[in-house]
Amino acid sequence: MYKSFQLLIFQIIIVLITLISSLAFSEDLRIKINSGQVEPLPIAIANFTGEDGGSSEIGMQISTVVSNNLVGSGQFKAIESAAFIAPPTNPSVRPNFMDWTPLGIKALITGSIKNINNQQIEVEFRLWDVIAETDLIGLRLSVNSRAWRRVAHIISDEIFERLSGDSGYFDTRIVYVAESGPQNKRIKRLAIMDQDGENHQFLTDGSFLVLTPRFSPTSQEITYLAYFKNEPRVYIFNLETGQQELLGSFPGMTFAPRFSPSGEKIIMSLAEKGVTDIYTMDLNNQKVERLTKSPSIDTSPSFSPDGKKIIFNSDRGGTQQLYIMDSNGRNVKRISFGKGRYATPVWAPKGELIAFTKMLKNKFYIGVMSPDGSGERLLAQGYLVEGPTWAPNGRVLMYFKQEAPIDDGKSASVNLFKIDITGFRETRIVTPTDGSDPAWSPLLPN
Amino acid sequence: MIRSTFISFGLHSFLLTLAYFGLPALKNNEPIELPIDIVEDTPISSKTSLKLGEAKEKKIKKINKKIEKEEKIKKTSPPPPPIPTKKEVEKKVLALKKDKEIKKIAKLIKKKPKIEVKKKNKPKPPKIVKKPEKLKNKQKEYLAKGILKTLTKPKIQQEKIKKEKRNSNQEVLNKIKTLVGNSNRQVQQTEIKLSQTELNKIQNHVQKFWKMSYGASEVKAIITLKISTNTDGSVKNVSIYDKTLYQKDKFFRATADAARRAVLDSSPLPLPKGKEKKFQNILMDFNTSFINEY
Repeated sequence: MYKSFQLLIFQIIIVLITLISSLAFSEDLRIKINSGQVEPLPIAIANFTGEDGGSSEIGMQISTVVSNNLVGSGQFKAIESAAFIAPPTNPSVRPNFMDWTPLGIKALITGSIKNINNQQIEVEFRLWDVIAETDLIGLRLSVNSRAWRRVAHIISDEIFERLSGDSGYFDTRIVYVAESGPQNKRIKRLAIMDQDGENHQFLTDGSFLVLTPRFSPTSQEITYLAYFKNEPRVYIFNLETGQQELLGSFPGMTFAPRFSPSGEKIIMSLAEKGVTDIYTMDLNNQKVERLTKSPSIDTSPSFSPDGKKIIFNSDRGGTQQLYIMDSNGRNVKRISFGKGRYATPVWAPKGELIAFTKMLKNKFYIGVMSPDGSGERLLAQGYLVEGPTWAPNGRVLMYFKQEAPIDDGKSASVNLFKIDITGFRETRIVTPTDGSDPAWSPLLPN
Repeated sequence: MIRSTFISFGLHSFLLTLAYFGLPALKNNEPIELPIDIVEDTPISSKTSLKLGEAKEKKIKKINKKIEKEEKIKKTSPPPPPIPTKKEVEKKVLALKKDKEIKKIAKLIKKKPKIEVKKKNKPKPPKIVKKPEKLKNKQKEYLAKGILKTLTKPKIQQEKIKKEKRNSNQEVLNKIKTLVGNSNRQVQQTEIKLSQTELNKIQNHVQKFWKMSYGASEVKAIITLKISTNTDGSVKNVSIYDKTLYQKDKFFRATADAARRAVLDSSPLPLPKGKEKKFQNILMDFNTSFINEY
């Protein structure tokens, strides 16, 4: 009796669940929307007002930086402030949306600056959905007035994330090799700047050659290769303390040191007796482990974001191609089969793509492909384009591009460029000198 | 929506309970009850119920048809109630004697339209008016029997039956109206059929306005928006259905906001003429999988 009652209850529950789930949508007509446009969103960035609601110099500067960041991402289209019908308002005041819709604006940013004391300012902003007539996000930050640029980057990140879903990448830095002087006497210095090229600083004086700087994914540290008295050495530079630590002096040639995702290891290639193989070094005990043992040249290793796989390039198959192996060096598998040669692979932060340099018919390309080698897309092309590095959100790549040399004794100019992975928006990063070998930092800690 | 879901849930629970107690198949331990066959009683009278001759039957049928025609006209435009005269009062008194028979007729007429109410799911509302024609066959039989009983005063009897029928039919119609309420309208609504072209027109219109960032490729779920529209196609209200995912998933949130903007931007929607009511409450499913095909 009890059993049959239980069965009945169970049956009723099943029927009810089915009914409710089917009834939830049954009454309304359904229309499927299976297509749309991936294109920049029209946005208005009003100048941040001062305390009295009037204009503020810092406010104007912040809104300019925010505008440059968002437009530079390729995902937003800023409407000229001259076209605005309504004056900028305080973020606590609900704007009259009818003033903004005729301009085709979909999102509006309003902000204000308040002086707390001589040094401290309070920056407030609000993002509005002009079409839905609602606010999407608002934030108030108290900072030193000299850090207004960083505040602008933080605000840009917040807006970018709220409107695109992706994490921002504006509050980040770029370390690169600043180059100057003639071709035969090139000075290469380590330099650092904000991702938009501002706050530029040289980290080394140029007395020795530096190559392949790489950011730690977990701390404000850089690893790089320096030739000191013609001997290659791997250093770690702490950006917070300014201290430099020698990791080791390696015989023969050393290339492309790069951090593991945990930041506890460094992976690099060492050339010894004509053979170049891949090694890891534990930063805690400086223990070196050899991962590949082939008579060929294995170089440019890069860990997958989960640290389980390593991508590198090798000529073991006759031409320079991309290979993947386990983090212990086993299960080596070739993934690139296209025409030409492939080099400098870098795993994307989300793991879904691998960026690389491709050489085909005397031209260089920057491209991306899936970790299984499928879906190859070439994004940028030039006389020499090389050294891709990912923004922390995996949506933008930075690399350097060298112009064709002119036979006048001067060196051909080398510049840094960035491009979003759709490949439609390539932007040059303006640097005080020529620049090469960029490396993108993770988001700065707040 | 929540309110209608609760009402729906309540009604279904009631139906299930009713089904459980009402349907014997759901009870395992209960003995199977044999259904009782109901046999129609033939009215017994002092006079014979033998069939009439063919000529007489035809005459009666003709009279009945005339009655029906009159009824049909009167149903569409009911006449004002007649002023009772002395003769009519007397006739009514006489008619009371035959109340039982008339009630039977009225009951039969009442019963049939109830079946009509159940059949409202069938998308043929005009048949609500036509259906009684089928019933009339049975009515005819009873009427014929009634006439047989009162062969002496057929004209008076026919008039009485006519009036009673009119009244009872009117009552039935009124009852149906009160019981069903606006169901006639609902039946008409469910009947509205939309062509794929009409749906595609709206689909293409909204698609033009759906502008999103590349981050939308990260959205794996379908974004469902609940939209209510006015009859002119203007969007009255848009809400994002999956509130939990909207709070949890930043890609979903950003893309759902973009979808909402698309719907509001695309207002007014190009609704097909005469079918606007069908679009009073609609659901739109936004699918971002096309981005990965780029």
